[in-house]
Amino acid sequence: MRKTIEIVAIAIIAAILAFALPRLGVSPYLRTLVYYSAFYLALGQAWNLMSGLTGYVSFAHGALAGIGAYAAVMALNADWSVAESLVLAAAVTMLISLLIGVTSLRLRGVSFTFATLFFQQLALLVLRKLPASGGPGGLALEEIFPVWLPHALMLALAAAATILMLLVRGSRLGIRLLAIKGDEDAAVAVGIAATRLKLGVFCASAAIAALAGAVHGLFAASLYPDVVFSIDFSLVALAVPMIGGVATAFGPVIGAVFYVGLGELLQIYAPSLHLTVIGLLLVCIVLFLPAGLAPGLAAILPRPAAGRLKPVREG
Amino acid sequence: MNGLVVGGLLGLVALGLALIFGVMRVINFAHGEFITLGAYITWLLAGALGLNPLLGIPLAFVVTAALGYVVQALLIARLAGRPPLDMLMVTYALSIIGLGLFALGFGGDFRSYSTGPAGELRLAGVSIGLRSLTVLIVCAALSVAVLAVLRSARIGLALRAVAMNRDAAAGCGINVRRTERAAFSLAVGLAGAAGALVSLIGTTTPAVGHDLVLDGFVVVVIGGMGSIGGALMAACAIGVIQSFSGFALDDSWARIITYVLLYATLMVRPQGLLGRAPA
Repeated sequence: MRKTIEIVAIAIIAAILAFALPRLGVSPYLRTLVYYSAFYLALGQAWNLMSGLTGYVSFAHGALAGIGAYAAVMALNADWSVAESLVLAAAVTMLISLLIGVTSLRLRGVSFTFATLFFQQLALLVLRKLPASGGPGGLALEEIFPVWLPHALMLALAAAATILMLLVRGSRLGIRLLAIKGDEDAAVAVGIAATRLKLGVFCASAAIAALAGAVHGLFAASLYPDVVFSIDFSLVALAVPMIGGVATAFGPVIGAVFYVGLGELLQIYAPSLHLTVIGLLLVCIVLFLPAGLAPGLAAILPRPAAGRLKPVREG
Repeated sequence: MNGLVVGGLLGLVALGLALIFGVMRVINFAHGEFITLGAYITWLLAGALGLNPLLGIPLAFVVTAALGYVVQALLIARLAGRPPLDMLMVTYALSIIGLGLFALGFGGDFRSYSTGPAGELRLAGVSIGLRSLTVLIVCAALSVAVLAVLRSARIGLALRAVAMNRDAAAGCGINVRRTERAAFSLAVGLAGAAGALVSLIGTTTPAVGHDLVLDGFVVVVIGGMGSIGGALMAACAIGVIQSFSGFALDDSWARIITYVLLYATLMVRPQGLLGRAPA
């Protein structure tokens, strides 16, 4: 019952943000901030689903989003419809994630992290080389879409990803994934098909990242490989859940809003300190608030909401 | 020849990474920033003060090792017993803090200097730049010195014992915390020295170490996580492969080939060339 209410609430909030803001005369600047919060939330939830729940850290979510963006823009330029392009972006990225997963997820520990770290570099190098992707000069979207379309799509995606996280987190699947994070040997011993679950969840997570990237491709309208595949987006994907609360459904929401707000403040007051401040913030959170900002907030909020923000104890 | 120089530098970097991983089970994502620090120290010494850049090698070693000692004591040691995700995050965060600070302090300019060894040596029809030769000799000397320390010195025995079995080592009366601190300090000191050498043969930018350490990770994974012999072997192999394919095709293809090799290793021999199979 509570879960149903929460899901409906997420959907209503997303719908209000998508359709009511322009009519209420909210400034385009603020709407852009809402858009970026949704983008970062979608990326963060994608990472959270995989790395937050299973403990296998991915550094490739920015690159997965980038591949989604490239696939979508190339499809749109070939006169595919928006829906078809988004589906293609998700499908291509899932295939690629399967490849990364098969090479590295059979193994325990850090192999997966390394495989994703190098994937980011490999994707950049290959896309700069391929003639079809425009090389180092990048790609431009031929048709410019009205700005409400990517806004609405991104909010829908962020809301859907949050709802998915909420559902998975409370389901048997979520418990199995958390068991893998806690002690993989023990999880396998009680009959959890760890490798298959890890692969499946990584594919789903890659699809969300790809859709986020594809919608952002509609928004940005031009893709430069050095920007799309810079480490920044991978950093966003892991910083958002880390700041808000890893493996929680609502932590990344707080994380995304916080990250965008902090980014804007830094832009105004200390544009050259952006990386350093984010780094210091991550260090402080790991040292002093290992469960993220969400549990701190949970202590203040009334009980029902607080339950959903509770951190998961790691074994 | 160029391949050997790259291989030597990668060897120093990978030696440090393997040492840290072997002893502490930590992947040091901030390793590249220690390289960059060493490069800037040498650049300041040679470019701004006009001293001999060779002095930068010991100075970079000492300064980065001291900084590594502080970082290990203040940050890394505090995270003992926490999930590996936390450790990963902290070294990664240190890396971006460093990147940001270097960009702030030195700007994006390419820094180089003209003091120090110059010219080239002709020997039996092969000519080699004196700077490259210096890098090669220093890399070899440092690697041999580290291997000798690991093989016979007391601290080397302690390092190897902790790498094999932390609890048993502690049970034998080895001070594990001190040993870990020594491992981290020595490893980032090597990174600093590698940075000094990088500044000698190339240009120094805020991301110079960041780029080099990615290849260092490739070497460590291919050589076998925590295996020092494997890391040195893989470093030479990668250096030669990169310079040959870089010569025949171009630099990007050389890197693409390296990464494909890495994925192939992960597929066929996940424990690396010389790594032990997981128990």
